[in-house]
Amino acid sequence: MNKFRTALAATLLGATAMAAPAQADVKIGLLGGVSGPIAAMAPAMIDSARLAVQQVNDNGGILDGEQLVAVVGDSACNPQNGTDAATKAVNIENVIGIVGPHCSGAVLAATNSVTIPAGVTVITPSGTSPEISGLNDNDTVFRTVPSDDFQGRALARTLLLRGTAKVAVAYLNNDYGKGLAEAFRSEFEGNGGEIAGFAAHEGEKASYRSNLAELASGGADTLVIFDYGDGSGLTMLRQALENGFFENFVGGDGMKSDAPIKELGAENLTTFLSSAPVGEKSDSLEMFSKAFADVGGDPSAIFATTSYDAAFMLALAIEKAGGDKAKVSAALREISNGEGEPIRAGEWAKAKELIAAGTAIDYKGAAGDHNFDDKGDVPGTYALFKVSGDGFEVVSEIQ
Amino acid sequence: MEWIGLANYAVFMAIFICIYALLSLGLNIQWGFTGLFNAGIAGFFAVGAYTSAILTSPAVEGRLGGFDLPVPVGWIGAMLAAALIAWPIGKICLRFRSDYLAIATIGVAEIIRLVIKSEDWLTNSARGITDIPRPFGDLPYVYSQLAYLAIVAGVLLVAYLMVERQIAAPWGRMMRAIRDNEDAARAMGKDVPFRRLEAFIFGSALMGLGGALFAHFNRTITPEAIDPMIATFLVWIMLILGGSGNNRGAILGVAVVWIIWSMSEIVTDQLPHEYAVKAKYMRVFLIGLMLQLVLRFRPEGLLPEPQGTREEVSEKSK
Repeated sequence: MNKFRTALAATLLGATAMAAPAQADVKIGLLGGVSGPIAAMAPAMIDSARLAVQQVNDNGGILDGEQLVAVVGDSACNPQNGTDAATKAVNIENVIGIVGPHCSGAVLAATNSVTIPAGVTVITPSGTSPEISGLNDNDTVFRTVPSDDFQGRALARTLLLRGTAKVAVAYLNNDYGKGLAEAFRSEFEGNGGEIAGFAAHEGEKASYRSNLAELASGGADTLVIFDYGDGSGLTMLRQALENGFFENFVGGDGMKSDAPIKELGAENLTTFLSSAPVGEKSDSLEMFSKAFADVGGDPSAIFATTSYDAAFMLALAIEKAGGDKAKVSAALREISNGEGEPIRAGEWAKAKELIAAGTAIDYKGAAGDHNFDDKGDVPGTYALFKVSGDGFEVVSEIQ
Repeated sequence: MEWIGLANYAVFMAIFICIYALLSLGLNIQWGFTGLFNAGIAGFFAVGAYTSAILTSPAVEGRLGGFDLPVPVGWIGAMLAAALIAWPIGKICLRFRSDYLAIATIGVAEIIRLVIKSEDWLTNSARGITDIPRPFGDLPYVYSQLAYLAIVAGVLLVAYLMVERQIAAPWGRMMRAIRDNEDAARAMGKDVPFRRLEAFIFGSALMGLGGALFAHFNRTITPEAIDPMIATFLVWIMLILGGSGNNRGAILGVAVVWIIWSMSEIVTDQLPHEYAVKAKYMRVFLIGLMLQLVLRFRPEGLLPEPQGTREEVSEKSK
């Protein structure tokens, strides 16, 4: 046991030596899967959240002109590092709220063991597991990305409306792919559609031809892929096209990535559709896109909009709560409940004035309106996209 | 205020170190004392975590259980389940030697992981199990952390004393004899396959217990937690660095690796914030570099095995 005492003492000494300087700033934590399986997606998400922080600081700062400081933590997409990063953010950095972690497993572990007991508000921009809705969280866990349940169901209804009644479904075997696929299946079959093949696949394999052949044997000519377009989803799409297993392809938001267009060419993707969340009939998304492109970011990167919204809303809530950690979660509901003066992406100065005057505000985000339901979830609005030129273009709204 | 935060962080790390120390002790029995190259730690960790989760969580539709049993029952169940799984695996795989055994155990751990990730009725597949009770979890943050630390530290202490006792006993000497010269041990009339199986099961049960403690600490267990990188190879690094064949070394290795892994983030955060994301990669690089240096200049580990078998151990670990 001596070793533990040594370890504890060493920790304390070391941490003190490195403790942050003055505490005048208001800190929020940005926890993301910087290393690990989603390392390719995380930088854009963190950059877009930092854009929100920068806009706050450029437009008068937070509270009494203080600076909002974002502390980045690496949750590595697993519970071990997720709890570690959250513990550091809450205890060492004294953050007032957290944006993240990115992966559902890390969200579940970090909220259960750190942030809920510590009373820190968490907004995850990409934790899509339905399990997050059911957390016993004292109303401190929110998300700006809809649960997989919403998107899977909406996509199923839309396909049926478009006359596609028989499909095969391939999904990546993680909480994201599985959540979407299950919701899609129950809605599709419940409304009279036929699922001619339904199979999970593991990520990062060199070949999916046997999976595809198996799926195609059911006789469907449409393949629904719930996977990531810059990972195994791309491989699958390429091999399905090369071998002519299917004619039409439909993807979830993870597939709406530039990678398939760059790798396969737009001319080969004329039969490829993808659903993804969009901002609801507002120019908020455009304002975000312009601002993010100006700082060198890619506005269409996966979950960039939800990350930005999460950070901006957290800043609004902190302003509204007067910097009181315990009131942030209640304030978060107040700043975006559908009632009050609309605030769009980046309109910090206006929001700050209104909050100071005691006027109710309603944030309309880049990724949607974000009116939280009683579980802290957002319903989300989706559109169906097709490939056009070098990017994606909206075909139709889906409900 | 500042001090409370630092203390909380230290308590958190201590809990984590205690949990991983159980894995490391389990591996030390298998590798350090018996010479079994088990590269499937994540599998036994997962069996323990999920068994305890299923036994103690409230009933849910769509998967096995939960049976809402008291937490200690879950922990004992976790050890039993890990031991039960280890028995047939050991029976078949332990006939392999060194690297072949490693390959077989990696395969077994992957099978366990994929089953857990795919079977809805058993483990709720990719979504994992939530609502696992945590002892004293209803207390305020600081107290519940301290209470859990007391529990895991107590469990680790008991495990450590039991392993020490067992290794100091004739059984331990026999195991080392088997490790160092199997033929000689056999000539002395020892039942080598049976003894190796014993060590394999004993170590696996400890790994299962570690998994259970981890699941209850986070009140949730998802397949992301049983990635081989974080649940197998990290434990190997800890044991090799601390000193295999020495229980205190095994625990020290866990403490050193985890503290460096966790605190290096605080160091890299001192870089200007433009580098905030890049700094995280720097951290991974620094850890790799440190391990290389330790392995290069002190291959026997920080606390080597006390008796004169150092060359033997370091040769095997290459």
